[in-house]
Amino acid sequence: MNLSDKIKIAKQTAMVAGAFCLLISLLLLLHFLQMRSADPLDSQVLETLVERLAMEPGNEQLKNEIRQFDLLARKAYFTSLWQVRTGGFLLLFAAIILVAALRIYFALIARIEEPPGEEETAELTGRVLSRRWIMGGTAILVILALAASLTVSDPIERYLADIAYPEKAEEQVERITITDPEAPPAEDTPVPIPDTPATGEEPDRQPADTPAEPGRPDPKPDEPAEPLKPSFPDQTTIRQNHNAIRGPWSQGVVYHENLPLEWDGASGKNIIWKVPIPLHAYSSPVTWGDRLFVTGASERERKVFCFDRHTGDLLWEASAANIPGSPATPPETTPDTGLGAPSATTDGIGVYAIFGTGDIIALDMDGNRMWARNLGVPDNHYGHSSSLVSHKEKLFVQYDDRNRGRILCLNVHTGETIWDITRDSDISWASPILADVDGNYQLVVKGNPIVAGYDIKTGGELWTVNAMSGEVGPSPGFGGGLVYAANEYATMVAIDPASGAVVWQDNFYLPEVASPVYGNGYVFIATTYAVLACLDAKTGELLWEYDTDDIFYSSPMVAGNRVYVTDTSGNTYIFETGSEPILIGKNALGEEVYTTPAFADGRIYIRGEKHLYCIGI
Amino acid sequence: MKHITIILPVLLLLAIAITDQSHAQQRFPAPEFESGYEYPEVAAPEPRTLALEYVDVMVLLGFMLLTSWLVIRKRSRQWILWLSVLALLYFGFWKGGCICAVGSLQNMALSFSDPSYAVSYTVIAFFMLPLAFSLAFGRVFCASACPLGVIQDLVVINPVRVPVWIQRSLGIFPFVYLALAVLYAATGTDFIICRYDPFVGIFRMGAEFHLVILGISFLLIGMFVARPYCRFVCPYGALLKVTSMFSKYHLSITPAQCIQCKLCSGSCPFGAIEKPTTGKLMDDMKGRSGKFLLYAALIPLLVLVGGLTLSSAHVFLAKAHPDVYLAHLLIEEPAIINDPDNLDVQTFLASDRTLEELVVSAGEIQATFRTGTRYAGAFIGLVAGLFLVSQYVVRRRTDYEPNRGDCYSCGRCIRYCPVQKQDA
Ligand code: SF4
Ligand code: SF4
Repeated sequence: MNLSDKIKIAKQTAMVAGAFCLLISLLLLLHFLQMRSADPLDSQVLETLVERLAMEPGNEQLKNEIRQFDLLARKAYFTSLWQVRTGGFLLLFAAIILVAALRIYFALIARIEEPPGEEETAELTGRVLSRRWIMGGTAILVILALAASLTVSDPIERYLADIAYPEKAEEQVERITITDPEAPPAEDTPVPIPDTPATGEEPDRQPADTPAEPGRPDPKPDEPAEPLKPSFPDQTTIRQNHNAIRGPWSQGVVYHENLPLEWDGASGKNIIWKVPIPLHAYSSPVTWGDRLFVTGASERERKVFCFDRHTGDLLWEASAANIPGSPATPPETTPDTGLGAPSATTDGIGVYAIFGTGDIIALDMDGNRMWARNLGVPDNHYGHSSSLVSHKEKLFVQYDDRNRGRILCLNVHTGETIWDITRDSDISWASPILADVDGNYQLVVKGNPIVAGYDIKTGGELWTVNAMSGEVGPSPGFGGGLVYAANEYATMVAIDPASGAVVWQDNFYLPEVASPVYGNGYVFIATTYAVLACLDAKTGELLWEYDTDDIFYSSPMVAGNRVYVTDTSGNTYIFETGSEPILIGKNALGEEVYTTPAFADGRIYIRGEKHLYCIGI
Repeated sequence: MKHITIILPVLLLLAIAITDQSHAQQRFPAPEFESGYEYPEVAAPEPRTLALEYVDVMVLLGFMLLTSWLVIRKRSRQWILWLSVLALLYFGFWKGGCICAVGSLQNMALSFSDPSYAVSYTVIAFFMLPLAFSLAFGRVFCASACPLGVIQDLVVINPVRVPVWIQRSLGIFPFVYLALAVLYAATGTDFIICRYDPFVGIFRMGAEFHLVILGISFLLIGMFVARPYCRFVCPYGALLKVTSMFSKYHLSITPAQCIQCKLCSGSCPFGAIEKPTTGKLMDDMKGRSGKFLLYAALIPLLVLVGGLTLSSAHVFLAKAHPDVYLAHLLIEEPAIINDPDNLDVQTFLASDRTLEELVVSAGEIQATFRTGTRYAGAFIGLVAGLFLVSQYVVRRRTDYEPNRGDCYSCGRCIRYCPVQKQDA
């Protein structure tokens, strides 16, 4: 092959690659325009069908049609995504070939240049011009800086000068916070913190020196400064609070009375306060004493916020930053999960929060950091979402990711690992719960495919049942001596945690995100096809089902003889726990809700997409 | 060649394609669990575990050791080229351009100004290693370890010779950018080098529209003006330029004795080859020694002017900080608190901070900026002064040699030298 052949080949390759680039670009452009005009996400048909369904909520055929259209839209959308991505790669590939061919072409046609003659004058004039331009450039920079200084005034100095004079300060320094004038003063709604000793239910786990007010461990300023030895709350105190997602021990059952039955977000009826949440996340609120905690997360920052439960005032916020081992770039998550899906937990001594980066942080009740560490970035394609639960000095972290199933137990005071086990489970999104079995607590954890009970002291596996499959989202429920575990596309099982035996199994209604809950002999399931189902807890017999307006991500909660459950549109349904569907109330918040509410005496706290609501009478 | 004219629309369309896709991925509600659907590959790089970060440091070290050997001993442009392709794939496309030495200088600046900001050993290594190597062997990092530099180097197709005065006067800009980047990082305002990194969108196959356009523009310009980002923008390159000037074992064009054949004189696409000094130039410079002294004496003045003028713009620059911005907004437009759509304001209102607290904090930040801009301006003044003075300095040179500050150790010129090692 002689030189001219090579030149020809390089030229032709460049032309072909160039034409190919052009073609792909045109196709991508067409695709782009087409997607703009007929976006599968804005399907008119689907919208009309959904509107119709709102009028005929029981129409099964319509529901089926919607599911099919939805599936079609998803297919169309993801195929288009695939096309764009493949096109992008083809284009990159062709651009690489084009550049390579052009390089070769120019290298081949290049001739060794005539060596230049003496270029003294060029260097000399170059230096003269350089001097001029350096001076000119510097002058331009000076002018730009001066111009910039003239474009802004400095109101801050003025403001600070004003408030230096007390009489002016009165006008200027007003505290800008949202407070509801109708909100009752804090002393109207004291949080009862019982001083009764623990009941006999938990004799061997009751510390002798449990203080009456574990939520207020801080010594008064005039007291001796010796550090108070923290004592863990007793069972009764835990029941007075909502210290983890789905309440005490994450079981979905709360022990409060006088809970509101009616409210309305639009008119503000029975809404005691409503405040914006500074940072979005899908984590649920938890409470202790007068305080309420939520977490928020974005690509840039991860934070814990503490609100006054009575007024909605933000008391403090703490950032989970500067944690050794924390990744410089947070892991990619999907928008429906994000980096702040796990809920925090608290024991009245500390607040413990974990984020999708693998950062776990412990703060005291005033927001001061006690410890923080990174558990290794979870390999989780949606985002880590398992919430925390604690028992005395042990903080449990379900940490199943694509690499392995894992549970860690950390010391709440120091963050040190007490035990760390690898288990026979694939990735999961469920949260652990604590179940009191024969006087001892078990950590009950769902995964894929196992549902298992663990000895909280050692992490030893006490029993496992292979029953789950797919992407496990809902957490287990517990009550009536049984563990209830269910997952969409798998099954629902009731397990005796004392023996690990499966008591009954059913797969008619299965939840995808919301967790099952036990209450007064019944089990409730809230599905992502907008049905709330009630089963007999002993036999698994389906007792009733109720079609709701929207689907459920928020888990149902049992309070006394009622079950509260909120759909994603923000409607909370209140039913009696019984063998018939008796709807006591249906209340609209007017904001989407994906989290599980927290309960306190006479109060319900709901985290909407943007706001935190306190509901009460 | 005519074909080049098609590249522009092609690459612009690539930009549209990329941005369209990165938006779209965010919008669809998650599919139902167990639908058989598999999530598309993520658009941003996975973060690294600590062990992997150490691996990155080792890889970087390996790349630079190997490049140094290839540049100084083996003297092979071909090998340097292939190694640089590997670096582009690893540090660029696989790692998504992060962590990189260029950005690491901001972490270093912040850690110096804010003791509570912990900077990891990996970041320190990424910052220090290229500088240490450049002190010994010249800018071997730029040759085949920096993904930003390599991607530009690979698209050099038909470079034009940039007039020397443009090159020298624009050469100040990286130092200005360096001063601003350090200012913004040290005040905890922003990491501007990362925010405006033009190539990261290409490495990750997705970024904001304007960044992709910026990256593609740099590459398009880079076909004719070789390595435009490296030469006229890169703030880390400014540091490397300084350290490399003092490099002990720098690449030489000829393996033995320069025979003054001039064959290499036009071979450097970056205009980094210095010609032997001529008598006329030396004479001319001698005649200007008075000017040299004058400009040298002016340097303190330039430092002062730089410090004063930039600090006069400190309020303007400080407004990039969210607290300062918000404080200005709330004082100047108090009615904004009634705008429910202004999330910054609403978030502030929901927080426990009072306006006074915010203003006091903003005032402190502005004060830090006032000090910071004095230093940054003084630094820029100093650099401008040194650039000016350097125009009156000539080092006597008898051979064709790379300019140690500007040479990227790419090895192109080596091939042009007809002298063989054994000729020596
Ligand atoms: S000058 Fe900057 S961008 Fe260019 S190769 Fe060197 S470090 Fe990288
Ligand atoms: S090695 Fe030679 S061609 Fe490459 S930058 Fe240095 S002087 Fe220029």
